[in-house]
Amino acid sequence: MKIIQQLLTQLPKNIILTGEENTRPFECDGLSVYRQKPLAVVLPQSVEQIKQVLKICKAHNTPVVTRGAGTGLSGGAMPLEESVVLGLSKLNKIKSIDEKRCLAVLEPGVRNIAISEAVAEFGLYYAPDPSSQIACTIGGNVAENSGGVHCLKYGLTVHNVEAVKMLTIDGEELILSRQDEGLGLLALMNGSEGLLGIVTEVTVKLTPIPELARVVMAGFDSVRDCANAVADIIEAGIIPAGLEMMDSFAIEAAEGFANVGYPLDAQALLLCELDGTKAQVQAELESVLKVLSGASSLKVSESEKERLNLWKGRKSAFPAVGRLSPDYYCMDGTIPRRHLADMLEKINELSQKYQLRVANVFHAGDGNLHPLILYDANVAGELEKTEEFGTEILKLSVDMGGTITGEHGVGVEKLNAMCHQFNSKELEVFHEIKAVFDPQSLLNPGKAVPELHRCAELGAMHVHHGKLPHPELERF
Amino acid sequence: MKNPIDARIQQLQTLVKGSSNLHINSALLDYSGIVEYYAQELVMTVKAGTPISEIKKQLKKNNQALSFYTDNDDMSIGAVYANGAQDISDSVLGVQIINGTGVLLNFGGQVIKNVAGYDVARLLVGSKGQLAMVTQISFKVMPDTYVGKLNAAVKLENKSVLRTEIENKLKQVFDPRGVFQ
Repeated sequence: MKIIQQLLTQLPKNIILTGEENTRPFECDGLSVYRQKPLAVVLPQSVEQIKQVLKICKAHNTPVVTRGAGTGLSGGAMPLEESVVLGLSKLNKIKSIDEKRCLAVLEPGVRNIAISEAVAEFGLYYAPDPSSQIACTIGGNVAENSGGVHCLKYGLTVHNVEAVKMLTIDGEELILSRQDEGLGLLALMNGSEGLLGIVTEVTVKLTPIPELARVVMAGFDSVRDCANAVADIIEAGIIPAGLEMMDSFAIEAAEGFANVGYPLDAQALLLCELDGTKAQVQAELESVLKVLSGASSLKVSESEKERLNLWKGRKSAFPAVGRLSPDYYCMDGTIPRRHLADMLEKINELSQKYQLRVANVFHAGDGNLHPLILYDANVAGELEKTEEFGTEILKLSVDMGGTITGEHGVGVEKLNAMCHQFNSKELEVFHEIKAVFDPQSLLNPGKAVPELHRCAELGAMHVHHGKLPHPELERF
Repeated sequence: MKNPIDARIQQLQTLVKGSSNLHINSALLDYSGIVEYYAQELVMTVKAGTPISEIKKQLKKNNQALSFYTDNDDMSIGAVYANGAQDISDSVLGVQIINGTGVLLNFGGQVIKNVAGYDVARLLVGSKGQLAMVTQISFKVMPDTYVGKLNAAVKLENKSVLRTEIENKLKQVFDPRGVFQ
């Protein structure tokens, strides 16, 4: 192919992968049910090389799919047919650390955990901690506006990024910082899923490592009591560093895997982490224990070892569930916290309806739900049934005043669900914003925002509050 | 944010549709009040003309506070948003707007984690009423004990040619007729 020839002649050959065998590792991201091999994968080692790739792709009208570590969970980095994957994992240098101003300047391929490791000697860390943090890159974090367990207190990626340097599809550099006068372009770049530009440098804010962190583990006889406890903790004026909830199936799976002493008789489990100075933690702990007095079991970590042990179960929940089922599908809706108990009940009803088991793992503090639907892809029709189940959960999330995705992104996976959350006029605005940055639609096209006809076709079956969605569009 | 559309919103839509030149301010909006506030959600949704003083009064009842700097509590939340910078942006979760052709649109929402669609609610912070008429805003609040000393945001004025070009094109997206002056 002409474009591959041109890439090979204008760039070092050792950064270009072509052919079935070499491109296979890049055919999907963390959502492996969607796969597609690209024309070629380029792994640039400098910003100049990225510019070169963009120039060639633009000239050949070839889509560019930017990729960090490929750990995303919505197919955002899945290659498109006839596309070039731009993998930025080799650009992994920490350019500078300013411990006095609590800032670090990074290349886009720096791994999330590597930031915290590099600044630990100054008593600092990088707060957002998606569960893929040992592998995922800061560039990917910006693209997805990644979250983690500590968002309620320490914010998402957008709250912890000071500045980015990015390239437009034309190869022009745009520097965006928190201090800019004008529109919120920096915020716009966070979570834009590789559709607006290529992030080439990120300046992040670093946070002092708290003096002390302790975790309270509380078991409950009912899911509703546990959900109410979440609201009560916040209402008592406490912002925990982490506030996680698991249902009985998830508890059982995690305990069977990690063996950390979770109460197997509990219907729901709450993990509440408090951090700060010793005095702060002590004061918050007293309030939290008062709020949690109705729990069926209570345990407070007495050492750092014990704290990490209690988290180990939660952090291994996904692989633990993976052990119980050939496949599982992870949802990512967010709802206002006050609907947590109702949502869990609905999910259980749906689980009966579809005859598929669900383990519920929630970032309860920020209402972000990760129900894991267990299925077997080798059973004909089971994946489709699972997706239908998932779509019902996402629609419920929107109807409760929440969103279809809290931190995993839309990618290719949630395009249909987007039609439920936004009307055609709103989707049009998204398409027009993309066109401002990328008029030829070459950067990760077709991801994140559904085409209007897709929604119209779906919507024909779905009448919301007696009103037909997208009434202005023709229906086929 | 998908509350039933009230009569005032419909009037404002008609006003925008029928105008060629509008300067948005609280008096023109005439749209004020708290739409939804659950203390345990740490989220408040208000009509854009609501004065900061009113918001602070409600929050205080629950020992909660805004986590961005405001120097004049007589100002409306809409004005603070329109003139704002990154500090208020960090608290913003969602907006309801009327665009330059009079269409009512919702972006973001009332939950802290939300990555569906581009972050238009934060994009329009600092838009100075030039892109859209912001009618309703949802933002995160905090228990007052967690809000430290707040300072005015530092802003750097110099814009690159490319940035200016992008901002002009974004104005076209939201206000193609150039109604908002």
